[in-house]
Amino acid sequence: MSAAVTGTVEEALETAPDVRGPTAPWPVSIFVAGCTAIALAIGGTLALQIAWAVGGGSITPECQAAGLKLNEAIGARGVCNIVTALGSQAETTVLALAIALGGAAVVAGWGTYKRLDTRRKREHAIAGAVLGVQAVLVALFVLWFRSGNLLFPFVRNVLNFTYLKGTFHLFLEAAGRTLYMAFLGEAGGIAIGLILALFTLSRRRVVRAPARAYINFFRGTPLIWQLSFFYAVFTFGFNLNIGTVFTAILVFALNMGAYSAEVFRAGLQSIERGQIEAARSLGMSYAQAMRYAIVPQAVRRVIPPLLNEFVILIKDTSLIFVLGVILGQEELFGIGQEGYSDTFNATYFVGTALGYLAVTLPLIGIVNAAERKLRSGLVGIAGAA
Amino acid sequence: MEADDKVVVRLEGIHKWFGEHHVLKGIDLELDAGEVQVVVGPSGSGKSTLLRCVNMLEIPSKGHVWFEGHDITDCRTDLNRVRTRMGIVFQAFNLFPHMTAIRNITVALQKVLKVDATEAKERAMEQLTRVGLAGKADAYPGALSGGQQQRVAIARALAMRPTLMLFDEVTSALDPELVGEVLDVMRQLAEEGMTMMVVTHEMGFAREVGTWLIFTDGGMVVERGNPTEVFANPRTERLQQFLAKVL
Repeated sequence: MSAAVTGTVEEALETAPDVRGPTAPWPVSIFVAGCTAIALAIGGTLALQIAWAVGGGSITPECQAAGLKLNEAIGARGVCNIVTALGSQAETTVLALAIALGGAAVVAGWGTYKRLDTRRKREHAIAGAVLGVQAVLVALFVLWFRSGNLLFPFVRNVLNFTYLKGTFHLFLEAAGRTLYMAFLGEAGGIAIGLILALFTLSRRRVVRAPARAYINFFRGTPLIWQLSFFYAVFTFGFNLNIGTVFTAILVFALNMGAYSAEVFRAGLQSIERGQIEAARSLGMSYAQAMRYAIVPQAVRRVIPPLLNEFVILIKDTSLIFVLGVILGQEELFGIGQEGYSDTFNATYFVGTALGYLAVTLPLIGIVNAAERKLRSGLVGIAGAA
Repeated sequence: MEADDKVVVRLEGIHKWFGEHHVLKGIDLELDAGEVQVVVGPSGSGKSTLLRCVNMLEIPSKGHVWFEGHDITDCRTDLNRVRTRMGIVFQAFNLFPHMTAIRNITVALQKVLKVDATEAKERAMEQLTRVGLAGKADAYPGALSGGQQQRVAIARALAMRPTLMLFDEVTSALDPELVGEVLDVMRQLAEEGMTMMVVTHEMGFAREVGTWLIFTDGGMVVERGNPTEVFANPRTERLQQFLAKVL
């Protein structure tokens, strides 16, 4: 008996044991059912939309009854396709299948996962059940959404993509201006913030106080107020004619300076005391110790929060709209706002959102990757900037 | 107060308060060139604070520190210049993690002593060779063992060519099997005639290398003398208790 036990232990130690263990057909089928259900609910609905859009369709009697007449209503065919596809028999079948499969996965998963004897089997069963719940919820939502008589006006006013036809280059240029303002604002903010941060860390209150006052002022007032007020101050008070965009960039820099200062301060303070002591005890002045020992280490730690601020600023550049939009110089929000004002169709805002997401999602991905890398300590060890 | 040339460092009535906490209660000490002053005592007895007062990382609340004939507690002293002549090695190594071993050494040579790059490299390699790490010049601290990091830290301090070396419990953070390599470097340094002040818990090392030993407790010097004699005949009960625990 004891020999057998010893044998298994030694055997297990030779290769790291798989703690999750093998899976089995039953939990795998629950998992597959859950996956299929969610794929039907989301993918099936999308596929039907695409099929209708590509297939051309036509204005149905229902659509005409709802006031959609070709050559009279803009985007009549597109709106009619979306609504018709959502209300089609095929969509009903897809949703019913999703609910049935999802429900089955939920019942089977929740009902049996406790009796399964390896971690991987349990994980498959539970994941299947969770996906099942999501599929049922999505399918029920689509059923509810298409049942009401508000579907026509909703699609017509929010999802009427015909309005966006031929505007892609406008949105692209607007995204460029958004990024341009955010980039210059952030660059100025970093410069201001680093200096302010060094001031706030001074031993001397007379150095700290003005920096703190600046930071608290810009953190304590809304950006929209800062834009309005300083625009007036620069343009009318100082008679500076540097244009709306540059005035806004200046205010963004002043504002981000306050926030970056706090980021830098936290970053500098996170460096161990021993580092500055080592530098000072080698005869370096405070400034030299900061420059050669502390700041290079702090910069690595503040990259993720600074990128995060950059993402926030990208969105906040939209506040430039309070200064009035100049034709031909709109940023992403401005272009959407302008389209909406002309047509009262909110599809322009959908385009704006897609524009912002196209810019911010990759950046958010970079922030997360940088944070993971920092947390794993790779940066500190490799010393790679 | 012109001292003779042999005296490297002299402490006169050093007191240190941290807020209400009275850490050092009047320490006097004098160290001639080539001597090794060992400081032992229980945790919290103010040993490290005393050492950090010598290079003014902690400013004494009262008293004077004389270094090479100058009162460096005088606020007109250029501490940055004084510190280039006084090396310190810390318990936690405190190497710059974003610099290679050799860059850790050359950065202060170039930026503080204004030595040119080629000579700085030569001086750094000379010290790395002395501590047996010439082959690790381009390694980052994160890739070195604790003992190796501490030897680089010693090389970094020595490259400045100081007249006094301060060691603050430099083996306390090391795995037991790495303590020896660091102590060997310090022993060799003492044999070469470096003036040293060593705070340590290594009693064997203290006895072997120390010229003088002070035993501190409660912020005061309780006993002082030749290490071998002090260990052989502890006069106070406090030191007897301490030795009974650590030996």
